[in-house]
Amino acid sequence: MAEKKGAYDVAASDTDFRKKYDRAEYAEKAQKREAEEKEERKLRYEAKLAGKKYYKPMTGEEEFTQARHNIIDVSSKVGKIELMGAGAATGKKGKGAGNYCADCDLTFKDNMQWVEHINSMQHLRAVGQSGEVKRATTEEVMQRIDELWEKKEEEKRGNVMSVAERLEIRAEEDEKAREERRMKRQKMMERKREEKGKDVKIKKEYGEDVRVEGEHDEDDMMASMGITGFGTSKK
Amino acid sequence: MANHRADEKRFLDDRGTHSITTPNGLNPATIMEKPVRERIIECFYWKAYCFALNECDIVTRVVEDVNFIGGTIGDSQAPSPFLCLVFKLLQLSPSHDIILSYLNYGGEKFKYLRALACFYVRLTYRAKDVYELLEPFLGDWRKLRRKGRDGGSRLTFLDEFVDGLLTKERMCSTALVKMVNRVVLEDLDQLEPRVSSLGDIEALLEESDGEIEEGENGRGEERGDGSESTPEVTEKNGDGRNGWSRNSKAPTPEAIEE
Repeated sequence: MAEKKGAYDVAASDTDFRKKYDRAEYAEKAQKREAEEKEERKLRYEAKLAGKKYYKPMTGEEEFTQARHNIIDVSSKVGKIELMGAGAATGKKGKGAGNYCADCDLTFKDNMQWVEHINSMQHLRAVGQSGEVKRATTEEVMQRIDELWEKKEEEKRGNVMSVAERLEIRAEEDEKAREERRMKRQKMMERKREEKGKDVKIKKEYGEDVRVEGEHDEDDMMASMGITGFGTSKK
Repeated sequence: MANHRADEKRFLDDRGTHSITTPNGLNPATIMEKPVRERIIECFYWKAYCFALNECDIVTRVVEDVNFIGGTIGDSQAPSPFLCLVFKLLQLSPSHDIILSYLNYGGEKFKYLRALACFYVRLTYRAKDVYELLEPFLGDWRKLRRKGRDGGSRLTFLDEFVDGLLTKERMCSTALVKMVNRVVLEDLDQLEPRVSSLGDIEALLEESDGEIEEGENGRGEERGDGSESTPEVTEKNGDGRNGWSRNSKAPTPEAIEE
């Protein structure tokens, strides 16, 4: 394209602030991406022909899968409220109500599905694991046995308690619970008393002692209409 | 084979074509019965806790989760953690050294680990090795909890469990592989005649006969308080673990007399 020139043979510079794209670089990127996509399509197709499931090919940098040490806590969400967009998740895709897997962008509604997903090859590849477990040696097994034994002994040493001690602790707990109940009852009584007092106070603000319900209704109504009384202002 | 697969799919799909055969020549994937196998791989415990275990993690799981032995439990026939871990062991097929460390080193500390390893040995080893490996544990009198099919717990002992493994045809919802009789192996000179941890049985019987006669003559009151029970039963009533380690030697005839 011919260079654009202004009337005074000066190149237009009012659009110089715009970002200059390196077209070659982006063309290269696009080519690479398209090649990858093509490759994936091909692999998917081949897997389908062979009657197998397609997984992302391994990069060789995957780490070993390890046994979970923490318990899968599916009950932590019981009673909690989460706000979700109306069309947040379609099927399992996207973040919806349930157990959400951020690595795979999928949501699962129950614990069995969730566990199955965590164990699945799809998930393992997504988090960069090979799905292989390292074989342990005899020394490692011995070491693990020692560790567990040590832990158990430690626990045993930690909570040596006689029956008397346990009874004492139980009594203390009971006393605490009773105290709490008493406090609660007292608070409730106080609140009730306060409410009662409030009613009395409102009535007192009229300038009289305690008004009998309905006695002065007529006067109040008249006052609100601007009539203070018939004849004399004296009462 | 360097590593294990984290899940059981390849193990079950192989159907014995590529997997290792056990020392007694069986396919580990078919040692358990198919219905039991399927219940195991469908159950939550298997999926949540038995995934990606290796030989070390098995120990952790046994210590943390196994507090009774049993097969499938209840109307739903849910497999016990014990059974799930046996199945995992079959999948891993650990080396002989590791099995020995489960049996002896770990077994001294954790009784359920020993029970698990005993069960595995019974399922996979040759008859001669089974007798040689398991018979020493007939002297292990630690208590075990056992759950039956009805879901009720029952007290049993490690020696009783091992004895069941050696004599019964079915345990923990698994049909045990038929074993050559011990006497046959003795005749073939593959095994030495078994020496009971109580000592020579014949001599013991004679001695106890003599004791009864003696008791009838002069020490009647000692027999009256139930002291004529066999030493095995007396030990079982005591603290399981300490009883085992303290009395691992064969009791002397004096001990029986007391």
